[in-house]
Amino acid sequence: MSAIPVRPAAAAVAPRPGEPLLIASRLRREYRLGAETVHAVRDVSLTIGSGEYVAIVGPSGCGKSTLLHLLGAIDRPDGGSLAIGGRDIARLGDAEATAFRLHQVGFVFQRFYLVPTLTARENVELPMAEAGRRGADRARRARELLDYVGLLGRERHRPAQLSGGEQQRVAIARALANDPALLLADEPTGELDLRTGAEVVALFRRLNEDGTTIVVVTHDEELARAASRVLHMRDGVIVHDAPADREAR
Amino acid sequence: MRFALASASLLRHGPRTLLAVLGVAVSAALLLDMVMLSTGLGVSFRALLTRQGFDLRIAPRGTLPFDTEATVDRASEVARQLRGHPAVIAVSPVLGASVHVPRADGSIAATALGVDQAVQGDYELLEGVDVAHDGAIVVNDAFLAATGARLGDTLELATGYDPQLRAVVGSRRLVVTGRARFIYLSADQRAVALRLPVLQAMGGAQRTDRVNLFMVRLAEGADADAVQRWVGQRIPRVTAISTASAIEQVDARLSYFRQLSVILGSVSLIVGFLLVTTLVTVSVNERIGEIAVMRAIGVSRAHIVHQILLESLAISLAGAALGLGLGLVTARWLNAILVTFPGLPEAIDFFVFKPRAAWTALGLLAAVGIAAGIYPSWRGASLPIARTLREEAVG
Amino acid sequence: MLPLLLALVLQQPQRAGEPPASGGAPATRAERTIAIDERLAADARLGVGDRVVVAGAPDAPGDTVRIAAIVRRRADPAEVARDEYTVRLHLDHLQALSGYGDRVDYFAVATVGAAATGFVVDRINDAAFGFRAHRSADIAVETSRTFAVVSRFHRAIGVITIVASATFLLCILLLKVDERRRDIAALRLVGISRRAVVRAVVIEAALIAALGSLLGIGIGWAASAIVNWHYGAVYRTPLAFALVTPEIVAFAVALSVVLGVLAGWLAAQRLVRRPPLALLGR
Repeated sequence: MSAIPVRPAAAAVAPRPGEPLLIASRLRREYRLGAETVHAVRDVSLTIGSGEYVAIVGPSGCGKSTLLHLLGAIDRPDGGSLAIGGRDIARLGDAEATAFRLHQVGFVFQRFYLVPTLTARENVELPMAEAGRRGADRARRARELLDYVGLLGRERHRPAQLSGGEQQRVAIARALANDPALLLADEPTGELDLRTGAEVVALFRRLNEDGTTIVVVTHDEELARAASRVLHMRDGVIVHDAPADREAR
Repeated sequence: MRFALASASLLRHGPRTLLAVLGVAVSAALLLDMVMLSTGLGVSFRALLTRQGFDLRIAPRGTLPFDTEATVDRASEVARQLRGHPAVIAVSPVLGASVHVPRADGSIAATALGVDQAVQGDYELLEGVDVAHDGAIVVNDAFLAATGARLGDTLELATGYDPQLRAVVGSRRLVVTGRARFIYLSADQRAVALRLPVLQAMGGAQRTDRVNLFMVRLAEGADADAVQRWVGQRIPRVTAISTASAIEQVDARLSYFRQLSVILGSVSLIVGFLLVTTLVTVSVNERIGEIAVMRAIGVSRAHIVHQILLESLAISLAGAALGLGLGLVTARWLNAILVTFPGLPEAIDFFVFKPRAAWTALGLLAAVGIAAGIYPSWRGASLPIARTLREEAVG
Repeated sequence: MLPLLLALVLQQPQRAGEPPASGGAPATRAERTIAIDERLAADARLGVGDRVVVAGAPDAPGDTVRIAAIVRRRADPAEVARDEYTVRLHLDHLQALSGYGDRVDYFAVATVGAAATGFVVDRINDAAFGFRAHRSADIAVETSRTFAVVSRFHRAIGVITIVASATFLLCILLLKVDERRRDIAALRLVGISRRAVVRAVVIEAALIAALGSLLGIGIGWAASAIVNWHYGAVYRTPLAFALVTPEIVAFAVALSVVLGVLAGWLAAQRLVRRPPLALLGR
């Protein structure tokens, strides 16, 4: 594996010295599920510093994924405020939010969601192409990232020709393509067996050691233990926020 | 990358895409045929009318040339008046009649044209010599086939019968001096041409100094409309028809085909539209999660719209390309059916290929391709990312 | 054809109730009457009782006649695109006006039956000189050659549209069945046999095709009504240009169901061969 090609916390959202990377205050999100209103996130406040590795854990339906979507500007909160790198994210328009996600946030999903008809390298190149990077530049960068996640030599393979763990590593490389300030992952080991899950856990740890700020939603205790801080959620509320070493005890 | 994504998404379901392309191809073929049909007759008829260089047709008032048996009397006076116009350089009078070649077992009927052979524009001589004297006739292949005559043979031709006397009337013995193709008659119509005064004489008092039609050639650059108006004012018992108005009148007669072409062309466009829009919508629905993820990782709405429109356009254009070839084949088939209309001049075609027709069909299909992509691309671009991801995770 | 009719010229309409125009028909001669068709009556704003002058040529003096009747045109396809008027006169009057003498274009002869028709045709043709007798049926065949060509053209267009719609239908039904892959996977996972799944899919596809074709028949019927209304207005004819017949309905439904079954079977075969988990995308 190569040396880290990741350049975390791009200048555009770099927090002011001494300030946390992410500040959420009284975030609230509700949605309708049939006749019922689901209070997915209720007045959640939290701060995350640069280089932190945060795991959000809790039972199914407790609002972890919704919170992650709010933090990544995929969804807009119904109330509260959210600033990343000093920028108000909660009130971004669609185009601004899209650009924000493209340049500042990397996403990793449970089901990988690679484009099945593109090769591993093309999948990694996709966000870079969207960001307007030239062909040769993005091919070089995609190779570096695939090397970083241990998939050099598999770059011409399509997702169907890769194992679940390999697909997730391609997805991680894709998430890192535009040097995001923040890497968000939703159950990244949920579809993987123990061994490949462990590989992904190791990769996340390495990424964090190399300076990437990570927020991961997980049921996977192994993955949660790798984090420096664990948030427990229940019924849309953070009920417990503690460093992981204390968790381990 | 957008092209790669669009083509990859189409290739993902190869058989389905192929079927859609084939469906669009058949629609495109029908569309091209209908575009060709809508203009073909006019193009072909114009070529026929202008082939011999005559700019005006003068027929009995209120009629089209040879549309009825009406004739213009005192024809020589009319011809003189016409020749008096400074823009007129040639006047070709034509008289039409039915003639009979008496045989022991009945007779063979044919269409006879009395012409001024020096300026006639009704036939093209293929073999032999023109009607150089009063005893000569020029005939077509259908006539030769029916009568078994050959060039040089002498035949008896009559213009009618007298049932009381049980004898033919207006009979002459004439020599076949030439073989010709009659431009305005159908190939299977038996035809002879002879000198105008001879046919007028054969027709007796009823045809004395009468003709059915004058064809008028004008000097280069002359204003046909002005001459047409002049004829209308000076010779009220005739109607002057310019090439444009003749095409217009024939077009009106055959407007059914133009209207049919509009209806069927529209139907083929609608079918193509529905096919493409359904296929692309289903394709978008199938990868709604994938599109949500693309949006989540920062791919813009515009990118999604472009990609889906490209898919829809690609199906339409691939179908159109295939359909243009198919359309040319089916146009030949359909033309072969329509040219068997009884009495239709041999040179008339209903389907005439002009590059413009192909471009029109291609343009319409491209427009349909884009229109067909509007709904699925709107759907793809406007999907709520978080909810879609949530639902996909559950699904 | 009756070419003389086309050469007739109507001049100087004079409304019913108005005194005859000077220089009209001599009062001593019995007034002749004519019948005109609805189109002419509408366009020239003529009615029963109006007087007009009919002549055999544009510059001929003609006779003043009274319009005795307005007749409805027959639904004749041969006249459909010819924007012409029809005027009916008494035979002797037309012969006199046209200078045609004691001539006619044809005689229509009624016989007592089919056998008699053959006998009469043969006798006339044996004895006749200068004319021939034809059966009306033979003439009808000859005069309908134009429509035989149009009919062949329509059939050819029909073949093309059937190919297009069959491809369309096949494609749509394949998509429809393909959409059900998750349901099919679920059925397979709970132990339903491949055969039962294929049967269910085929029945569903056939039902969709049948329902779709019934809807299509409704749309087709509405479209044919619009087409008939449009062409009827354009050509001012009561002719029907598009007909939805029971044969066409049967053909459309049968074709749809056959294609539905075929598409359903093809798609179901493709789906049941894949492992259920693969269908679920796992």
